[in-house]
Amino acid sequence: MVKRGKAGWQKWLQVFIHAGAWLPIAYLVISALLNNLGFNPVETVMRFTGRAAVIFLLLSLTCTPAAQVFKLPWVKKFRKPLGLYAALYAGLHFAAFAIWDYGFNLPLIWSEIANKPFILLGLAALVILLVLAVTSFKTIQRKWGKGWVWLHRLVYAAALLVIAHYLLAVKGDLFSLQGAYTAPLIAAGVLLVVFLLRIPVIYRNLKKWWGRSSKPEPDLD
Amino acid sequence: MEQKPYRSIPISPEEITPKHLYQTRRQFLKQMGIVGLGAFLAGCAPGALESTPGTAAPGSDALGDALTDYDAVTGYCNFYEFTTNKETVDDLAQDFITQPWSVTVDGLVENPRTFSLDEILSGFEQEERIYRMRCVEGWSMVIPWQGFPLHKLLEEVQPTDEARFVAFTSALVPGQMENANSDLFPFPYREGLRLDEAMHDLTILATGLYDEPLPPQNGAPVRLVVPWKYGFKSIKSIVRISLVPDQPPTLWNTIAPQEYGFYANVNPNVDHPRWSQATERRIGETGRRETLFMNGYAEAVGSLYEGMDLTEQY
Ligand code: HEM
Repeated sequence: MVKRGKAGWQKWLQVFIHAGAWLPIAYLVISALLNNLGFNPVETVMRFTGRAAVIFLLLSLTCTPAAQVFKLPWVKKFRKPLGLYAALYAGLHFAAFAIWDYGFNLPLIWSEIANKPFILLGLAALVILLVLAVTSFKTIQRKWGKGWVWLHRLVYAAALLVIAHYLLAVKGDLFSLQGAYTAPLIAAGVLLVVFLLRIPVIYRNLKKWWGRSSKPEPDLD
Repeated sequence: MEQKPYRSIPISPEEITPKHLYQTRRQFLKQMGIVGLGAFLAGCAPGALESTPGTAAPGSDALGDALTDYDAVTGYCNFYEFTTNKETVDDLAQDFITQPWSVTVDGLVENPRTFSLDEILSGFEQEERIYRMRCVEGWSMVIPWQGFPLHKLLEEVQPTDEARFVAFTSALVPGQMENANSDLFPFPYREGLRLDEAMHDLTILATGLYDEPLPPQNGAPVRLVVPWKYGFKSIKSIVRISLVPDQPPTLWNTIAPQEYGFYANVNPNVDHPRWSQATERRIGETGRRETLFMNGYAEAVGSLYEGMDLTEQY
């Protein structure tokens, strides 16, 4: 009885996550149809897809530590779909840039990539995310074994590149922190927490603490 | 439907469209509209043909570029004292109080003086200027401003011989500006021009756009417009203008001098780490267009920068 209830709840969470992941795209499509993307639609879509990609990437990276600390192993299942959605939004982000904004004008696109470090960082992150996406199938995972695990650790490099890209994409000066840095700094903070939680001492202690505080209450009846 | 006839109207070759010309053209267009569209609009009240801001886009700038829609001009603005979101600033700025208002002009001048808003509006003949506005973020607009050349105001206070630069300061009203106390920006917003740039006839103090007083988000009640420089030079809601001997500190140049030069002349040859400066998105158009050197005003202002290396002094 208890077991079945738990499985049902997990299933609902799964549905919720997939629905949630398609909602931003639905929102964009509806906004586009209603001519509601603002006065600079390219900018709106670039920012929207960029932020969506960052959010799904960070959510994906949070799964493993959350599963460990809260002793909820099934949370790990969401790591892969969330990562794939991150790649999807990053792909849309790049498509908006290359096709919509620059009309696939390769010399212009190339000059942007070559001259703007933040674009280069974004491109590196995108390449990693896409490689991980196309190698994410179970069969490949089984075939490659340890190599696959190492390859997929590149997701942490991608996350660092993405945060750097984000910090450089907003207007201001990073060194004096004068500018529009609230959102990218929150993202950087989340990534930092994820990294800290992967340090054994930290997650073991947290796990212990969580185990203690979540002990079943004595029955008062 | 209303846009069509405007396209066939010949474009004045003048960089500055004199107001009477602009208005005749406008009237002419209205009459054209009444004749041409009369049949279609037979059922409408005549009032429907009155041009309300936003519905009519008469005329174009000197290069034949159509005016940017009123809704975009007033709905897509950078005004960081309110918010960094360009599309919500119009709501947040609605209650900004601009009357009474005064602008203090001081520093190295013979006649330091505080102008009330009424003195600014009635003391200087307001004229129409249709200018391209190029933002450093890589977008641009064509805006019909009302205002008057800054040199007219400076001539009243008479800069002394030591005055070399003009420093401008925006209003900073924490109670009315949501972002005023942000630690992320060294407000109040400040800008500056070299005196000869400030005296140039293209440099105006704008008090209106599209034949109505400036909306708060566009820098009410009085702002600077320097059409050959990136938009951030055109400081909004000015409360103080000081004549000074040295180059004054300016907000974006203080934050990131390597990205935002003091001169900030529109220059497709000086790239920016974030945005393409070789091309731009004209609001209302799809695709990119080439950015013009000095935003297309090089002929008028080029002499100001003779002998300067504009890739060094950007
Ligand atoms: C070749 C690859 C990429 C290119 C060319 C690119 C390009 C851009 C550009 C031009 C902007 C500035 C948009 C604007 O403010 O107008 C931007 C912002 C951004 N990008 Fe990318 N990007 C790339 C990859 C990525 C990836 C892989 C991610 C995340 C997974 C990402 C996330 C973001 C975010 C979060 C922003 C900031 C949005 C904001 O201002 O709120 N980008 N990108």
